[in-house]
Amino acid sequence: MSSLGRPPGSAEAVAVHTRPSTWANPRLWLERDTSLGFILMIPGGLLLLAFMGYPFVLGIWLAMSDSMIGVPGRFIGLENFSELLSDSIFLQTTRNTFLYALVTVPFKAAIGLLLALVLSNKMPLQKVVRAGVLLPWIVPTALSSLGFMMLYDGIFSPFSWLLTSWGVIKSNINFLGDANLAIASVMLANIWRGVPFFAITILAGLQAVPAELHEAAAIDGANVWQRFKAVTLPVIRGITLIATLYSIIWTFADFQLIYILTKGGPANATHIFGTYAYQVGTSAAQIGMGAAIAVYMFPILAFFAIILLNFLRREE
Amino acid sequence: MSKLSRRLFLARAAGVVGVLPLLAACQQAAQPAATATKAATTAPAATAAATAAATKAATTAPAATAAATAAATKAATAGAYVPPAAIKGTTLNILWGTFFAKAWQDSMTALVKRFGTEAGVTINIDFLGWADLQPKIGAALQAGGLDICELWPGWHHLYKASLVDVTDIAKEVETRGNGWEPYVQASGPEPDGKYFGVPHGESNGSIAYRISWFKEAITALGLSQYKPEDGTTMDMTWEDYHKIGVWLKQNKQKPFGQALGHSTGDPPGLTYPYMWSYGSQEVKEDAKTVAFNTPQFVTAMKAFITAYKQGYDDTGLSWDDSANNRAFQSQALSATYNGSSIYFSSKNDPAFKAVADDTNHMLMPKGPSGRFYRLSSRTTAILAKSRNVDAAKEYVKWFFQDNNYGEYFRVQEGYQLQNTKKWANDPMWDKDPKMKPYKDQPKYGRDQGYAGPNNEKAAEVYSKYIIVDTFNKAVASGDAEGSIKWGEDQLKRIYGG
Repeated sequence: MSSLGRPPGSAEAVAVHTRPSTWANPRLWLERDTSLGFILMIPGGLLLLAFMGYPFVLGIWLAMSDSMIGVPGRFIGLENFSELLSDSIFLQTTRNTFLYALVTVPFKAAIGLLLALVLSNKMPLQKVVRAGVLLPWIVPTALSSLGFMMLYDGIFSPFSWLLTSWGVIKSNINFLGDANLAIASVMLANIWRGVPFFAITILAGLQAVPAELHEAAAIDGANVWQRFKAVTLPVIRGITLIATLYSIIWTFADFQLIYILTKGGPANATHIFGTYAYQVGTSAAQIGMGAAIAVYMFPILAFFAIILLNFLRREE
Repeated sequence: MSKLSRRLFLARAAGVVGVLPLLAACQQAAQPAATATKAATTAPAATAAATAAATKAATTAPAATAAATAAATKAATAGAYVPPAAIKGTTLNILWGTFFAKAWQDSMTALVKRFGTEAGVTINIDFLGWADLQPKIGAALQAGGLDICELWPGWHHLYKASLVDVTDIAKEVETRGNGWEPYVQASGPEPDGKYFGVPHGESNGSIAYRISWFKEAITALGLSQYKPEDGTTMDMTWEDYHKIGVWLKQNKQKPFGQALGHSTGDPPGLTYPYMWSYGSQEVKEDAKTVAFNTPQFVTAMKAFITAYKQGYDDTGLSWDDSANNRAFQSQALSATYNGSSIYFSSKNDPAFKAVADDTNHMLMPKGPSGRFYRLSSRTTAILAKSRNVDAAKEYVKWFFQDNNYGEYFRVQEGYQLQNTKKWANDPMWDKDPKMKPYKDQPKYGRDQGYAGPNNEKAAEVYSKYIIVDTFNKAVASGDAEGSIKWGEDQLKRIYGG
């Protein structure tokens, strides 16, 4: 199938004899690996640009405007950002968000790791148990949040009911009405929802740990902890770091759980960036200010991403 | 060889991509036939059910049909509004908040469809859950797709730049109805008198209470001027109201319940009136001077903290708008501020009949500065992006004709308050004596932002729950001064005063 067998004048023949530049002949774009790779990337790139790039740029533009819903705004630079720094509710929201993410992510990672180690052992009904562990992650958050809403109900909470009937407490627990209890309660729900992600991701990583290494270490007299530290941990460190990064991003950007359980109450004790941005941007119609609240997340998440990815690169 | 294969591969891939939509289209074209066949095989049961329902309706409905015919005849003779032929063939997309009762929503759908038939207009009406209404309308204001929508209180001020001026229609409705009710007058028009939505009233809350338990408390406390069986006699001060709550919590373990969480209905529904009745205002008439932190309000807040701790269920700090409904229906509460939904849902459910029978309504208690309700009107608005503004205007004119609006208003049996004074005397209010206190609410209504206007700043105060959170912080911390100071700082930040 070389060009020799073709009549003179065919595209290939011309290409061979006159050697035009690749860019001048669109047909050759498909022949070269570099240009073909670029062409094949175009649809994906366009999709990313349309569905991620455009909203991102629009968000940045809105954050630097005084737009209201239905009223096109004008450019005001960084005014929204500086104004937020003197907004005590925003500062409380920032504290809450950090607390919410930095407390829940380590718990999710630690419990997820333990669960993964347990699940990696052979057990009866292994597949069913593994699927069951994933449930909190695959049930829509809106639905599981409603479940927690019932569990935390001021009057009808089964926890309060049990403890009252056992005589441990005298009045119902104010799960979502007391500022400290409320943030603790939403954190607990978040941990419950987030553990399976860590468990399943780390479990996948554990499959890559060669059994022979464990056996060899055991023969050399290493105990369980030593084997975990020297054999298992180095293999799953990378995937755990990636899972942690994802979890930080998702927890910082959480919305549904808090919106359904408390809408940021009581008295802003559980407001995080997502819920406060919605409150200001949609309910109060100040979409520019709402966008600025959301954009504040960007440098924070970028910081975490850079730190973790750098760490990962150094490991490699 | 490899180069040619790649090209061949790409060409074939392109071919497949091109053919797929064609195949899909063919499949879709084939589907209706299949669906029809399936429908034909499953339909008899449905048809039988429909026939049975129709027969039942026919046997039970003569009175209703007769009444409807009489009303139609009356309307015809009174010269009912006939939409012009010019709008024939157009399409209108309407978005409305869901109604509390399905029957009311069905009635609205039927009403709107009737306009479609009379005017030769295709009508699509959607009902959306209350929490989803604002985001959806916000999106439609920017992108289009809707002609008419129900705006909740204050939104017509927020979105006026994207709405059609309907001043002419609103003025006509005002004149025909013998003037707006005071709360509509205060909340409907812009400061310059223009209207960007025609006010159609609002459903509001009041105090729902248990008759038998209140009787016991009233007897024990010697407050015999109040007769719990008759809600109109319960012209109460906050002090008396709270005395009853404390007595019922201490003696019968049946506290009052009041939501103070981040929820848009009940928490602001009680906290704004309490604030106003003790002379405190988020801002004065000049819309700049914050008048929130007053000695009288601090004293009143201290009283509220004591009353809440001694007479209310203290988990209310986290409640949303539905928590007290559940608690009241399960007989855990003796009184609560809520829409008449508690009463209607109990009345219509045999399981809660005993609760409904023992429930009555009273007006909001009063303070030294009077009695207040946080009350402003919803509006029927036309979106500036509508492609059928003329037809939409005709619809709005038609909807507010007495026979049509009356149908919408009466079917809700007092759940929806009247927009103009004329409807305060409607015989509908005599139908259920327990709903009678609602009739007088419009007199006491003030809009958020009072004594200033309801503008984007008042909306921000409301959306950020500044007033609600002031109460929440006060009850949680027991520090009236500190909480009111926090609220004042937030208000000054927003109003700049």
